[in-house]
Amino acid sequence: MPELARQQQAFAAAIAGSRDAAYATPLFRGAPASVLDRLAVYRGNWYSNANKALAGAYPVTAKIVGAEFFEALAREYLRRHPSTSGDLNAHGAAFSGFVSEFEHTRDLPYLPDVARLEWLVHRAYYAADAAPADPQALAPLFARDPDSLRLALAPACATLESRWPVARIWEIHQDDFAGEFAVDLDAGPECALVHRPGFRVAVTALGPGACRFLEQAAAGSSIAAALEAALAAEPRFDLAAALREWTADGIITGIATH
Amino acid sequence: MEPMGAAPVPGITPGAIGAGIGLRAQHYREFLEGRPRTGWLEVHSENYFGDGGYDLHVLRRVRESYPVSLHGVGLALGSAEDGAAPHVAKLKRLVDAIEPALVSEHICWGRVPGRHYNDLLPLPYTREALALMVERVARLQDALKRRVLVENVSAYVAWRAADLSEGEFVGELARRAGCGVLLDVNNLYVNQANHGADALAAMDAIPPEAVAEIHLAGHLAADGLLIDTHGDRVAEPVWRLYEAALERFGPAPTLIEWDTDIPPLATLLGEARRAQSLMDECVYA
Repeated sequence: MPELARQQQAFAAAIAGSRDAAYATPLFRGAPASVLDRLAVYRGNWYSNANKALAGAYPVTAKIVGAEFFEALAREYLRRHPSTSGDLNAHGAAFSGFVSEFEHTRDLPYLPDVARLEWLVHRAYYAADAAPADPQALAPLFARDPDSLRLALAPACATLESRWPVARIWEIHQDDFAGEFAVDLDAGPECALVHRPGFRVAVTALGPGACRFLEQAAAGSSIAAALEAALAAEPRFDLAAALREWTADGIITGIATH
Repeated sequence: MEPMGAAPVPGITPGAIGAGIGLRAQHYREFLEGRPRTGWLEVHSENYFGDGGYDLHVLRRVRESYPVSLHGVGLALGSAEDGAAPHVAKLKRLVDAIEPALVSEHICWGRVPGRHYNDLLPLPYTREALALMVERVARLQDALKRRVLVENVSAYVAWRAADLSEGEFVGELARRAGCGVLLDVNNLYVNQANHGADALAAMDAIPPEAVAEIHLAGHLAADGLLIDTHGDRVAEPVWRLYEAALERFGPAPTLIEWDTDIPPLATLLGEARRAQSLMDECVYA
């Protein structure tokens, strides 16, 4: 191995673990005790940069567990899932899975789904801009074979099905939420829609028909197939009303033909 | 010299002239609603790596009125492990979209296999590290099809392995890679305080024509160690070192960097005015 790679791996190990730091001290000038203190500054930066990035992507999770606990969570996450990108906004993709397996958050069974939702919100924030569809452009919908037509959805759109009321949990933890801080955890399963009208990410709860329709549309199903799935989940699902609303909100950006 | 805040022509890449400040999200609104007087703006490239969204929208808007400098913090150019290609591709996309006046990165490393430390870790100033940096910077300039500036970093440890001084390393890198130097005066000062590295000697080892930008920032003194926090006003000894830098390198575009405990915009602009007046004195002296 080239000398530089060896030097960097020793430095890297010293940042990651205080035990390895002792092996690295001879690489640096100064008394070993003082070098250890200096290496600890890098370890502190490593933790704090990752914590800041993770708390930025998961503000609701951080509010629910409290800043101090979240910091410990972020530290443990960093050890098990270290950042691999030079862009810290990409750190945190595996966080919901980590939370679902983490023993000290088991008394908050909805937390993994809240984290899943927050990652969708985080991704929606950086998603490509999309011009809302011109309602006129959707006219062929009603003139052509629905088996051959697919809808194009805005890149920021995503749905999440949960057995917890995750959209409501997300809503009441927003900084500008002014309603009653209450959530009925036994309210039953919920489907959350993440989208971005303009530049601000919104989270809303969907009925079962709308949820199934958008899931199918996002997966590339034809309008006919999506509608069939939606009606199976919710016989009274009103496609015309839903399309008007989703077009106005910029969720549908046009028709995708094969 | 052009007055600060002169309106550049949209679509043309204007130069960054005089003093500038870092654009941070806290001040977006002020830049969207008005035209605060500053020569140019610098952002951290990675914060605009998204496919779209608000940050990119704001950057495009301010770019219509100000020269913009893209300052990267994530390439970790001196990492022995290669693997920055996806990062370079994202940077290239941003450079093509924004047409920045300046593009810069750091003389540092940060990545080992399977792990990125997201920090600007100091390199040993060895011939081996120099050769690697020369190759990486040259490759980055080829990929971006433009000259890139590289910045000297602060360090809390000093490698025993060293074939060159920091200044010699920076100077050699600039000569051999044909890149510019982003001289961070605060980092030189921090390293002088932490390791006794002579800041003036470091500047003397850097070819005057290579320095294309200067950074000024505040630091924090903690237990006999100076930490490069970018969280305070520029310290007085750093201003004096800046005057020495202006004497040697001439009035290079100078940035006030402030990344933690970000103050009101007026405070930043005040620091930038001080840098501008020192530059003006240097020009007219």
